Amino acid sequence: MKKKRGKTRLLVLVLAVVVAAGLMAGGAREAEEAPDRVAPEEFDWRQFEGETIVFNFPAHAAYNAVAPLIPEFEELTGITVETDQMAYMRLHDSQVLSMSQPQGDYDLIAMVVMWKAEYADGGLIQPLEPFFEQPHLAMPDYDFDDLVGAYVENTGLVGGDKIYLGGEGAELYGIPLGAETSFLAYRKDLFEEYGIDVPETYDEVVEVARFFSEEVDDVYGLAMRGASGHQATHAWLLHASPFGASVFDENWEPAFTSPESIETLEFMKKMVEYGPPGTASFDQDGQFNAFLQGQTAMYIDASVITGLIGNPERSAITGKVGYALHPRARTGLSQTGGFGIAIPSNSQNPEAAFLLMQWLTSPEIERRAVLDGAPPVRYSTVNDPEMQERFPEFKVLAEQLHYANPDWRPIIPEWGEINEMLGIAINQVLTGDKTPEQAMRDVEQPIRDVMQRAGYYD
Amino acid sequence: MNTALRKTVTPWLFTLPAIACILVILVFPVLSGVRLSFFEYAMRDFAVGRDPVFIGLDNFRILFGSANFRTSIQVTLVFVSSVVIFELLLGLVLALLMEGGIKGLRLFRTLFILPIMIAPVVVGLIWRFMYHPSFGILNYFLLRLGLEPIPWLHSTEWALRSVIIADIWQWTPFVFLILLAGLQGVSRDLIEAGIMDGCSYLQNLFFVKLPAIASIIAVAAILRLIDAFRSLVVIYVMTYGGPGVSTEVLSLHLYKTAFMAQRLGRASAIAVILLAILLLLSSVLVVRTLRAERK
Repeated sequence: MKKKRGKTRLLVLVLAVVVAAGLMAGGAREAEEAPDRVAPEEFDWRQFEGETIVFNFPAHAAYNAVAPLIPEFEELTGITVETDQMAYMRLHDSQVLSMSQPQGDYDLIAMVVMWKAEYADGGLIQPLEPFFEQPHLAMPDYDFDDLVGAYVENTGLVGGDKIYLGGEGAELYGIPLGAETSFLAYRKDLFEEYGIDVPETYDEVVEVARFFSEEVDDVYGLAMRGASGHQATHAWLLHASPFGASVFDENWEPAFTSPESIETLEFMKKMVEYGPPGTASFDQDGQFNAFLQGQTAMYIDASVITGLIGNPERSAITGKVGYALHPRARTGLSQTGGFGIAIPSNSQNPEAAFLLMQWLTSPEIERRAVLDGAPPVRYSTVNDPEMQERFPEFKVLAEQLHYANPDWRPIIPEWGEINEMLGIAINQVLTGDKTPEQAMRDVEQPIRDVMQRAGYYD
Repeated sequence: MNTALRKTVTPWLFTLPAIACILVILVFPVLSGVRLSFFEYAMRDFAVGRDPVFIGLDNFRILFGSANFRTSIQVTLVFVSSVVIFELLLGLVLALLMEGGIKGLRLFRTLFILPIMIAPVVVGLIWRFMYHPSFGILNYFLLRLGLEPIPWLHSTEWALRSVIIADIWQWTPFVFLILLAGLQGVSRDLIEAGIMDGCSYLQNLFFVKLPAIASIIAVAAILRLIDAFRSLVVIYVMTYGGPGVSTEVLSLHLYKTAFMAQRLGRASAIAVILLAILLLLSSVLVVRTLRAERK
């Protein structure tokens, strides 16, 4: 039943698009004024007055920044918002438990992008297009196209070209909030002192890392993660993307034994060699601290670190850091990841939750959250000259977003298991227990078995 | 109802609530865990409402075919046997030193209990900081002494040893306390009789004291054995099983299988194997002690 209705709706949508396209061909102005949005001043914020919704989210810069603003939403709408904040590794269990009951506890959830295919595939979260299509629900000045495209694809779209990507047949399930890409942060002061150019390629990164580790006392090359499991896989993905390596080929066969992947691992081994002691055991915190305490000259990873760099309580290098594009090898593609928000299928107040969802990611709230340390997810924020003045890294970020790769990691429902298996093997390379070829070959068959059992090769 | 029947039924009636409780909170979960180990069941199946699929012994077959699982068993055995042996030896030595009632015994006892009282997460963090390759206090002292720093947690060679050291630090006091209580309970008459007969300290120790507290040593050993097999948090915090799988004990492997890979059936199979190993080892110990006691 539900499916059928969705199909009819899709048909209507397609028709609408065709008609709109026709109109646009006739006169762009008329199409712009198509009456599917109410005027901003006529939008009824108080239509769900008196209702209560529950919002489940992690302790994370973006959510720490929006949480204090929520009382304003309550005042605006008369909706009561109960918040349930927890450590991000605990979100998954409690969300799955809540969403598999007939009536859920949560009306709005923050999910790590890794979980979106699993949630959408299982029908645990709702497609958002039906909400956006209803004029009385869609916030008039929301400006959806202003949301960073790669983030929307990475956090929100399911069922397109691949299950976790956009393209034909894709549906929107989530909106980015706390999403991030990767770039290069480097110690401006050290680079100036030793007359070093900012690396643009991976070869140059190796050279700079070698220089600092061999020539400068107590300073090492790159801050990188390497701990067994998820952390090591993350580091590998981060560099595999520029080197042109991937986990699977287009037939879902393991592709991490490819020459590009081996090259990625050789690069990472060098970074362990030129990195601070213990690089192969660093999780994200270890990596952050290595850079923040001034141990390394470079950092290539999630852009979320900027908030910490600017905080003198956490960082010994405040004001000494410059930013540049993620270095290039074969490509210059950078990470997409982080969090998005979605509405559970068993939410008891999905429409009220949709209002909060839009409000939280609306241009105005985004601006204020960013000023309070949240990573931006809108083009208008990173491109705003005033914001760029205040956050110099936004200039680089604005450019980097062109290279953000929505197909950065295969977000299939089986990813949790494969993530760990691959991460153990990568860590064994970094500690020198196995050669890159050996480690990748050893894990190839076990991972293929997982895919086989999940029916990818039938 | 006649008196005889009432006499046999009444005790059963009174114990029935207790038996029911045990069934509900102990037997039922264990049995359903064992049952689940023959099924393929992912967390997302639960969410979607898909039923578990019966796959016979496949979970066990996959486990024993997996190199990581076999390493994990090996790591667990090395970890458990080292910590139990060292903790018993150290605990015994400490208990013998303190047994005579030295000055400030109370203070020492309190100090010794501290590690047991600290939450495991904190213990993991403390040791992680001490082992830190650049900021850790251990390598600081090594460097000060002119020695090579040790890659405590980030080399396959050292990580397991480091984890074992932390566990010994935390749990030796526990063994010490039990053994001290045991030693203090040994009748003075026995020891004095030994001295009268001309026993040396060592003879007195090996032929009088230790046999007298043999059962207490066994209890301490069993408690530590069971606990060491289950220890998870400290290792989780310190190494998360790494480097590679060199510190991935069975309980951590189980955790990762259940919550990272989301394979509840296979995780149950690991739990069943863990339970079997524990039952085997502790029953051997119990039977031996009982036999020794009877002699």
